[in-house]
Amino acid sequence: MFRRLRFFGPLVLAAALPALAQKAGPAAWQNDLTAIGPADWNEDFAAHLLERAGFGGTPEEIRALAKLTPAKAVARLVRFEGADAGNLPPFDESGIHDAGLEPFPPTRPAVTDLAKKNGEALGIKVKASGNRRLQPVVDEFFYWLRASVLETNRVAYWWANRMLASPRPLQEKMALFWHGHFASNEAKVRDYRKLLGQLELFQKQGLGNFRDLTLAVAQGPAMLSFLDAGVNVKGASNENFAREIMELFTMGVGHYTEKDIREAARAFTGWNYVDLKFVVNKDQHDDGEKTFLGHTGRFDGVEVIDIIMQQPVTADYIAGKIYRYFVRQDLSPEFQTQLGAVLRQNKYELRPLLEKIFLSRDFYSQASVGTRIQSPVELAVTTYKKLGLKSIPGVPDFNLVTGALGQQLFSPPTVAGWAQGQAWVTPGLLLERANFARDVLFPDISFLPPDRYTGGGEVRRVAERIREGMDISTATKDDAKSGDIAESNKNADRDEEFNTRYGSFRGSQMAIERVKAIPRDTAQVNLSRMVLNADLQNTTQVVDYLIHRFMRVPPGAAARQKLIDFLNKDLGTTNIAEARTYMEQSLRLVLHLIMSQPEYQLG
Amino acid sequence: MTNRFSFSRSSRRDLLRAGMCGVCVTAGATIPVKAFAQAAAALSTQGNADGKILVVLELSGGNDGLNTVVPYGDDAYYKLRPNLGIPKKEVRRIDEHFGFSGGMAGFERLYKDGKLAIVHGCGYENPSFSHFTSMAYWHTAAPNSGEEYGWVGRLADAMAPQAPPNYLVNIGARQSLAVRSHRHVPVVFDDPNKFSQEKFYEERDALAAAPDSGKVDNPSRRFLLDTAKSAKDASALVREAWSKYRSPIDYGIVGLDLPKVVALIDAGMPTRLYYTSYRNNAFDTHVFQSDTHKRLLTYASDAVYAFIRDLQRIKRADDVVVMVFSEFGRRVPENVNLGTDHGTANLMFVAGTKVKGGQYGQIPSLTKLDPGDNLIYTTDFRRVYATMISSWLGYRDTHTLLNGDFQTFDIFA
Repeated sequence: MFRRLRFFGPLVLAAALPALAQKAGPAAWQNDLTAIGPADWNEDFAAHLLERAGFGGTPEEIRALAKLTPAKAVARLVRFEGADAGNLPPFDESGIHDAGLEPFPPTRPAVTDLAKKNGEALGIKVKASGNRRLQPVVDEFFYWLRASVLETNRVAYWWANRMLASPRPLQEKMALFWHGHFASNEAKVRDYRKLLGQLELFQKQGLGNFRDLTLAVAQGPAMLSFLDAGVNVKGASNENFAREIMELFTMGVGHYTEKDIREAARAFTGWNYVDLKFVVNKDQHDDGEKTFLGHTGRFDGVEVIDIIMQQPVTADYIAGKIYRYFVRQDLSPEFQTQLGAVLRQNKYELRPLLEKIFLSRDFYSQASVGTRIQSPVELAVTTYKKLGLKSIPGVPDFNLVTGALGQQLFSPPTVAGWAQGQAWVTPGLLLERANFARDVLFPDISFLPPDRYTGGGEVRRVAERIREGMDISTATKDDAKSGDIAESNKNADRDEEFNTRYGSFRGSQMAIERVKAIPRDTAQVNLSRMVLNADLQNTTQVVDYLIHRFMRVPPGAAARQKLIDFLNKDLGTTNIAEARTYMEQSLRLVLHLIMSQPEYQLG
Repeated sequence: MTNRFSFSRSSRRDLLRAGMCGVCVTAGATIPVKAFAQAAAALSTQGNADGKILVVLELSGGNDGLNTVVPYGDDAYYKLRPNLGIPKKEVRRIDEHFGFSGGMAGFERLYKDGKLAIVHGCGYENPSFSHFTSMAYWHTAAPNSGEEYGWVGRLADAMAPQAPPNYLVNIGARQSLAVRSHRHVPVVFDDPNKFSQEKFYEERDALAAAPDSGKVDNPSRRFLLDTAKSAKDASALVREAWSKYRSPIDYGIVGLDLPKVVALIDAGMPTRLYYTSYRNNAFDTHVFQSDTHKRLLTYASDAVYAFIRDLQRIKRADDVVVMVFSEFGRRVPENVNLGTDHGTANLMFVAGTKVKGGQYGQIPSLTKLDPGDNLIYTTDFRRVYATMISSWLGYRDTHTLLNGDFQTFDIFA
C-alpha cells in the first residue's frame, strides 16, 4: 500500500495544486473601474463576488452564479433579480415590553428618585408600607435591563440566520455595514425594539438612497437615544448628535469647524422620540438663524442634512468607506474621488455605485482578491455557509462567539462602529478564531446556554442564598475579603429602601420567565458525506478539496503537506474507500487544522 | 462599560477561574516558563540598564478632570457647575484647593502616602474635540499630524530595535494605535484563559509548525502570519502566568486589566511596556453624569490603588509606574442635561512607589477660558510622556521619538 502511495502521490499533487490558488485578474486591473466582460468570468470570480457581496457560498451556489454573465450575477445580488425573498420569517417577538416602562430613566438612582417623588415609576407603584418599599420598582428596572439584553440576543440570532439563509445576501451584508456605520448599541439604548426597528430600516433601505437612509436613521429612536439627541434643547444645545453625524456618518473629520457643529446642534434642537415615534418638540426647537457650512437660514435638522449632502466630500467619504468594506483597505484619494463621483451622479442612490464596484476590473484584480480580513460575524456565517448548514447552530452561542472575537451584533464598542481590516485580528483573537472552529466541529458537551444560565457569579450567588432561605440583606452581602475592602464593594453592601443586588437577581429571574429560549441545536455536519459526494479517492484530494472549499487563500506548501501527513496518519490509510466508515472524526480534525491556518481569516 | 449591574455574558471564564474545568486544560502544552522568561529577560535589557516597567492606563471617552480632582476652593467652579459641582462636603480634600471625587478613596490614600503625582493642565495646541481624533493624537504623541505608529510602539522600536518577543503587551479586545510598532508585533490579548489554541492531542505536531516565513506578497497574509508567530511566542507564557496568579488584594468591582499585568510581571515576563484601558468610551458623560461618573472614578481608583498594593505584595512595586490619561477633559460649564460636553486640557496621573507624590504643572484658570468655554492647557502632554521615557525608562533621545523638545518633570524619587 505504501508503495502505491509513493507512486500516485506526486501525480495527484501535480494535478491538484493549480486549482488551489484562486484566480485573480492581472495587477494592471487595479484602480480600473471598467466593467469586466463575460469572457473574463469564471468560477473563481463568482466565488470572490459571493464572498464579498454576500457571505460566501457552497460549491453548488458558486457554480450556479458562474453560469450567469457577470452583469446578471451582479444584478442578482444588487437588484435581487431572480432572487426571490423566499419565506424568511419575521422576528418572533417574546412580547416582553410593558407599557409603563417608557420613558425609561437613565439610571437606577433616577428610577428610585422618580418613584419617591411620584409614588410610582416604570408603571409600578411604591409599596404602601413595610420593608423595601421601592423594591418592586427596582426589580422592574433590572427586569427590563436584562430582558432587553436577552431579546436583543434573539434579534441577533434572527439576523444571523438571515445572513446565512437569505437568497439576497447583499441585503444583510449591507445592513451589517450600516450597523457598523450608524453604530448604536444595546448597552446605551437599552431597548431591543429600537434596535430591531433600526435593523429593519437597514434591511429595507440599505441599498436605497444614502440621503434618505441618513435622515431615517437620524430620526430613529435608536440613534436619537444613543446620541442623547433627545435632550438637545433650545438655549443649551448638546453637541454629541451633530458632531457624530458630521464626523462619522457623512463627511469625516476636518471638513467643518467647531462653529458648524454648534450651529448644526441648534438646528437639531427639539428632535426627540416618544416610545418608538420620532417627534419634534416645537417649543424646544431653536428656530433662529444659523450659519452652517457657509449657508445661512433658519435651518432645521432636515435642512442641515441636505446641506451636508451637497458637500462633495460627503459622497467621497461614504463611497470610500463602502469600498473599503467590500474590497480593500488601501485606496488612493484619486480613486476615492472617482467613486464619490459615481455616487454624486446618481444622487446618492447606492445600487449604481455597488454595481460599478462589483463589476469593475479593480474588484477582481490581484490587489483585491483574497486580501480582506473577515470580520468575526462574517467568519462565523461564512464558516456555517461553507459547511452547508441551513441555520445558525445554538451551540456554540453565536453571540458569545462573535463577541469574544470582537464583533457582537448590537454591541459596537463606540459610535465609530468597528475598526475594519487588520484591527480585527490580534495574537489573542487569532487563536480564539481557531477555537471557534473547534467549538463548531466538536461541540462542548458541557455547554450552558447563556440565556438560561444567567447573569454573573454575583447574581447566581444571591439566587443560591435566597433559595437557602436567607434574608435579603444577608443573601446579598459580599463575601468579605480580608483587609482593605474596595470602596465600590462597601457601597454595594449598604442596605437601602431597596436592595440593588436583590433587584438584579429578581430582574434576571423575571426576564428568563418571559424571554423565549434560543434553540440549542449543534451544527449538523457530515464531512464524510461531503467527501463521498465529491467523489474524492485519496487523502491528498480530500485536503485539497477542503482547502478549496473553505479557504480563499491556500496555506503554504509546507503547511499543506502537514495537513496531508496528518490525515494519512490519523486515517491509517491514504485510501478514502478504505476509511469511509470511520473517517468523520479525522476529517473534522483536519478541517479544524485548516480553519486554524492564519490564511483562513482571508475572504 | 462594565459595572456590577451588567450581566456577565461569559460563564466560561468564571468556570475556568474556579478551576471547575480541569479537563479542558490542553494536554502537553507546558513549557518551562521560567527558563523561557529568563532568556527573554536577558535579551530585553540590552541598552536599558535597569528593566523598569511602564504601564499606561487610558480612560477612554474623555474623563471630566474637574470632577475628578475637584477645585472646591475655587468659587468659579461652583458658578460654572451649579448642578454638577461636587459639594465641598463630599470632596476628599488633599489641600486647601483640591480634593478627589467622593468615591476615590484609593487615589486619596495613594496621594497621602506620596505615591501619586497629579499633573495639571495637560493638553496640546489646536485641540480636537473628536474622541477618535484626539485619542489618535494622544496615541501617536503627534497632534495634528498623520503619524502612523503609536508612541509606545515607537518607544519599543527605539529601546529594543531587535524586537525580542513579548516586549510590548496590550491587554484589550483590540490593538490600540498607541502600541502600533514598526518592528514589534505587540502581544494583544484580552482574557488570558482564552489566549490559547485549544487543540487535541493528535493535532499537536500539525499545530506546532512555525507559520510560513517565506516571501509573501499579499500584505494581509503577511500580517496574519506575523500575528500567528507572536501568538505562538506569548500564549503559553501568559496563560501559565495567569493560572498561577492568586491575589488577596481587592481590586473592586471592575479591576480593569491591572491584575493581569501583575500576573505577567510576577511570572517574569520580559515585558517593559504595558498598555491597558478603561474601555468603550466609558467616560463620555454627556448626560446625567454625576452617578455614573462617580462610579467610574471609584472603580478606576480602586483598581489603581489595588494594583500598587499588589505590586508591593510581589515585591516589584519599585520597578513599575502606571501613567493615567484621557483623550480630553470636558467643557467647563455643565450642559443642560446634567452632563458635560467634550473639552480640552485635563489631568494626568502617575502612580508608583518610586513617584514623588504631589502636584505638577500649572493649574489652568477657570475664569480665563477659551472662546468655547474650555480650559487653556498649561502643560503639553508630551512632557509627561518624555518624563516616562527618559526619567523612568532611561531612554534619553526623547527629541527624536517625540519630534520635539519636551521638558521632563522631576517626578521620581
